[in-house]
Amino acid sequence: MDTIKLEIVTPHGEIFSKDVKSVTLPGKEGEFGVLPGHAALVSLLKTGIIDIEMPDGKHELVAINWGHVNVEESKVTILAEGAVAVKGESESEIAASLAEAKKLLESASDSDVAIAAATAKIESAAKGL
Amino acid sequence: MANLKDIRRKIKSVKNTQKTTRAMKLVSTAKLRRAEQVAKRSREYALKINEVLSDIAYKINQFKIGGVQGRFFEKNDNPSKVDIIFITADKGLCGGFNVQTIKSVNALMKEYKEKNAKVRLRAVGRKGIEYYKFGGVDLLKAYEGISSSPSYEKAQKIIKEAIDDFAKGVTDKIIIVHNGYKNMITQEIKRVDLTPVEIATDENLKKVSTSMMEVEPEDDESILDELIRKYFEYNMYYALIDSLAAEHSARMQAMDAATNNAKERVRQLTIQYNKARQESITTELIEIISGMEAMK
Repeated sequence: MDTIKLEIVTPHGEIFSKDVKSVTLPGKEGEFGVLPGHAALVSLLKTGIIDIEMPDGKHELVAINWGHVNVEESKVTILAEGAVAVKGESESEIAASLAEAKKLLESASDSDVAIAAATAKIESAAKGL
Repeated sequence: MANLKDIRRKIKSVKNTQKTTRAMKLVSTAKLRRAEQVAKRSREYALKINEVLSDIAYKINQFKIGGVQGRFFEKNDNPSKVDIIFITADKGLCGGFNVQTIKSVNALMKEYKEKNAKVRLRAVGRKGIEYYKFGGVDLLKAYEGISSSPSYEKAQKIIKEAIDDFAKGVTDKIIIVHNGYKNMITQEIKRVDLTPVEIATDENLKKVSTSMMEVEPEDDESILDELIRKYFEYNMYYALIDSLAAEHSARMQAMDAATNNAKERVRQLTIQYNKARQESITTELIEIISGMEAMK
């Protein structure tokens, strides 16, 4: 078992559903990583970035405002209120989704520190895309 | 034989009706498309949240995790008080759409009355409210003006009291009944028993889920409670939008049928009109001819 199924859904539809190598989540009490075979867990998620490591080593990013996560040994289900995937074929597409993700983060949290931390993170990660 | 003027007037009136029904059909078709999209998008989330909750229910049963929320997961075969929330449309002219929902609510009520359970009704939508008011049945709560423009906030408002009552132990079961959207031409009655939360029976799940469930943050016991509330609210919301989509599809069909009927009626009336016209011409001719014959 070297991958784990990750599903991210919002009231507006499914954002992500793939097998991934690992995923880092913005838990309410701090970031935590989930690898395949993780013990079952239910947790709250706060405003932040979900960092997904794909089986080919690439990273994908999804910004969320807040939500719940249900972790099982072979499956991670994230129920988010709002989520934006940062991705795109060209640089302009990436920039557009980045701006959208920032807007979501800003509308969700009123703590400037949290927004700044999250935006800094997506920006630096987006450069690597 | 009706006189010509009467028939002409009738044809005109039927044609006017046809115009109205056709316009209503077009409006419903456009609205249906939008409602269908919304419903489709949120179906995903509704299914997922139900899945997560039933996984949790399974674990709670398996590992006997007690707590305040236990009541939501306990099976109760003999409920003594049942809350039924049902959704009908605010407007008519949509065929048997509302009647079907009402019928199944009545059947449910009968079923629980036979089991000596008390049934309380929470009605959404004017048509259902009117029906039960006319029949002298007491409604616990009546919500108008929500069916035609549902929103998450409105759904929250409706379901909140039902959850609170359930959590306090006033009621033992919550059921949502609505006429749901199946496809463009069919609707089907959907009945969702919100409590107890359905327990996952998936065999695979049993194999993989061997570990205890941890809840984090640990000191915050409200997380499960919050998730459960969300589950209720979302199911309510989904029922509302699903019902709206179904309403539009039902109305579209009903109006299509009405337009066709009107068309047929116009055809019949036109034949009748022509016959009457011919007849009067023939009579006139006969009168002229016999007049001329008499003059000879």
